[in-house]
Amino acid sequence: MKRVASLILVLLFAISCTKDNPEGPSPDDFDRKAILENWADNIIIPAFTDFSDKAEELKTKADVFTTNPDQQSLTELRSAWKTAYLSFQHVSMFEMGKAMDLRFRDNLNIYPTDTTEIQDNIQTGSYNLELPSLNDSQGFPALDYLLYGLGEETGEILTFYTAHQDAEAYKSYLTDLTNRIDWLTKQVLNDWTSGYRNEFVDNFGNGANASIDMMVNDYIFYYEKYLRAGKIGIPAGVFSGSSLNTHVEAYYSKDFSKALFNEALDASQNFFNGTHFESQQTGESLNSYLHFLQTMKEGTDLASLVNTQFEAVRTKADHLNANFALQVETDNNAMLSTYDELQKNVVLLKVDMLQALNINVDYVDADGD
Amino acid sequence: MNLKSFLPLALVSILFVSCDVSNDDTDIKTPATYEFSRNGSSTISFSGQTTRINMATELTGAVNDFDNSTEELLLEMYRNQTADGGDTDPFSNSDLNSATKNIKGKVAASSDFFSSNTALSAEIKNQFEIWLKNQVEEVFPNKNTMASEGVAGQIADGSSTRYVNGKGFEYKQLVAKSLIGALMADQMLNNYLGTNVLDAGTNREDNSSETLSEGNNHTTMEHKWDEAYGYLFGAAANPAKPAIGEGDSFLNKYLGKVDSDDDFAGIADEVFDAFKLGRAAIVANDYDLRDEQAQVIRENISKVIAIRAIYYLQGGKNAIDKENPEYGTAFHDLSEAYGFVYSLQFTRVPNSESSYFTNSEINAYLAQLEEGNGLWDVTPQTLDDISADIAAKFDFTVEEAAN
Repeated sequence: MKRVASLILVLLFAISCTKDNPEGPSPDDFDRKAILENWADNIIIPAFTDFSDKAEELKTKADVFTTNPDQQSLTELRSAWKTAYLSFQHVSMFEMGKAMDLRFRDNLNIYPTDTTEIQDNIQTGSYNLELPSLNDSQGFPALDYLLYGLGEETGEILTFYTAHQDAEAYKSYLTDLTNRIDWLTKQVLNDWTSGYRNEFVDNFGNGANASIDMMVNDYIFYYEKYLRAGKIGIPAGVFSGSSLNTHVEAYYSKDFSKALFNEALDASQNFFNGTHFESQQTGESLNSYLHFLQTMKEGTDLASLVNTQFEAVRTKADHLNANFALQVETDNNAMLSTYDELQKNVVLLKVDMLQALNINVDYVDADGD
Repeated sequence: MNLKSFLPLALVSILFVSCDVSNDDTDIKTPATYEFSRNGSSTISFSGQTTRINMATELTGAVNDFDNSTEELLLEMYRNQTADGGDTDPFSNSDLNSATKNIKGKVAASSDFFSSNTALSAEIKNQFEIWLKNQVEEVFPNKNTMASEGVAGQIADGSSTRYVNGKGFEYKQLVAKSLIGALMADQMLNNYLGTNVLDAGTNREDNSSETLSEGNNHTTMEHKWDEAYGYLFGAAANPAKPAIGEGDSFLNKYLGKVDSDDDFAGIADEVFDAFKLGRAAIVANDYDLRDEQAQVIRENISKVIAIRAIYYLQGGKNAIDKENPEYGTAFHDLSEAYGFVYSLQFTRVPNSESSYFTNSEINAYLAQLEEGNGLWDVTPQTLDDISADIAAKFDFTVEEAAN
């Protein structure tokens, strides 16, 4: 039995190895620096610049609102929150350098948010938002709760900032959260523009600590954990066995979860294709790297397969309700089939692409304890 | 006969063939499940082990429960009695509160290792109390402080928050992973699977003559073997055919982890089969076959502990050994490693009277981890050295254990 099993394994391995391209160009011959330059100059820095502007606008609108909390200023603040949250989807995958040091993504977008902890922070007024244990009571999800979740009606929500006995505390918590998003973002952007960009681009070799290996790992980690699992799989109950409607992104604003997902899906595909931020123009990318290597899978070029798969995800997602919580409650199968399409690209990116690029996965699934 | 009914038969025959290898001079077969009965009812009994696993689960869950736990409560969960020996209800599960069992009494309490080594037994029992006390005294007041060198508090491990002491150790992991050795493995390998216990008193005569222990449907020897089994699979949903790796966060969980590593695939079946065959051997009065199976279990359970010790030492090393060390991740891994290394003193070299590492050898390794600022300044070299020392005692490499 054992021998048969190992023979099968050897055969499987041999089959999978034929996907590789031993006769074709070597990954080492590709101009990796050109990819890094395109990523840094045309995608990452413009995306952080845009997000930093939106975060500052969010902070400004929060100041306007807390100075004069009314229907009008709340509407504007909500709008600024949405704009910034959408923009954030374009930088969330770049958790490296300063962003990694600051644990940027965990500070800005852990959901579901801990409403008990938020209330506790507001009541006591003593909180240190730098503590990792408070990651789930700040950032966009906490603002989602503060702007949409405190009551059923807009008027009722407004009273928490006006007539409520703790109105001052609610206002200062809101201010602290928007200030912190702005401040963290400025640090990350500033790091990219004041030295890290060159460090990133000049580290164009290959190996575990090279920029391209780290970036590609971060990208796939993001795709797997945050896009596939966080936005779709976890609420759909893929990992828990039963669906969790409260675990969708932007749960309290109700109709915004799909917009965030679509934005993140676009951002993920744009990164793969090297599409410049807010432009149709493309530059050197994972797509062009795979083309250079003439990487094929079962007779089709791998980069096209990845893009086809992104489209398949988009097609499935088109059928989803704007409010994923509602989607989970009414027809979770549509969520699950979106997840399945997302999962197919994990295989293409994490197995086939990494093999072609000769990059090793540098993360493992946490063992859950 | 159609193919569908033939296939299971073929599989079963393969199973028999493979079992015959370890069992060529008897005709005792390895049963498919851990189910044994007499006069139409089951002879299996290990409720005391299930109780202790559940107590250990509640205790480790309470270590970081800042809102509800106190030093008093944690110690009562460990002892299942008050400081002055009174009755107490520290658990949320009422079955555990009414139980007369406790964790502490079975920590470092095996017949083979500790019956005439009571000073060390007391020291180890007490070590757990020290960790629990320190948790409340050092970490609880600092739960909202960022941990730094010499300062207890919280630290991020990816998206998780870990609570550590001033040297970077998570008491929760120290307690949980050390219990795997001090409670589960010690009781299993050095108590219930040893001839001191299996053959105590008139156990052999009674077993051979099917003289049942009073009020029970099992012989004492059968029960002792079941109790060993219970420390591994006593919390499984279906203990007769347990899902490997599921049901608890102690030995079974890590047997499952090791089994899912390709380098050690099959180890869980080896252990499960040895338990079943040994129990069948007791029923058939074949005590040599029984003892052979005990050695198989000793070797493999010891390996599981050693493999996980190295796995976490190397995981911690990889997290520290980079330009921007991931301290939170490293501390979590190394706290688990500490517990597994601690547990190594309760392992058992097959066909011997000794563990793979003595208490003083283990203490020397732990001292290296604790030295100075502890995990804040432990070096990759130290972690590699300890890993290599452990692997050298077994038939696997550091690399095989680490991946």
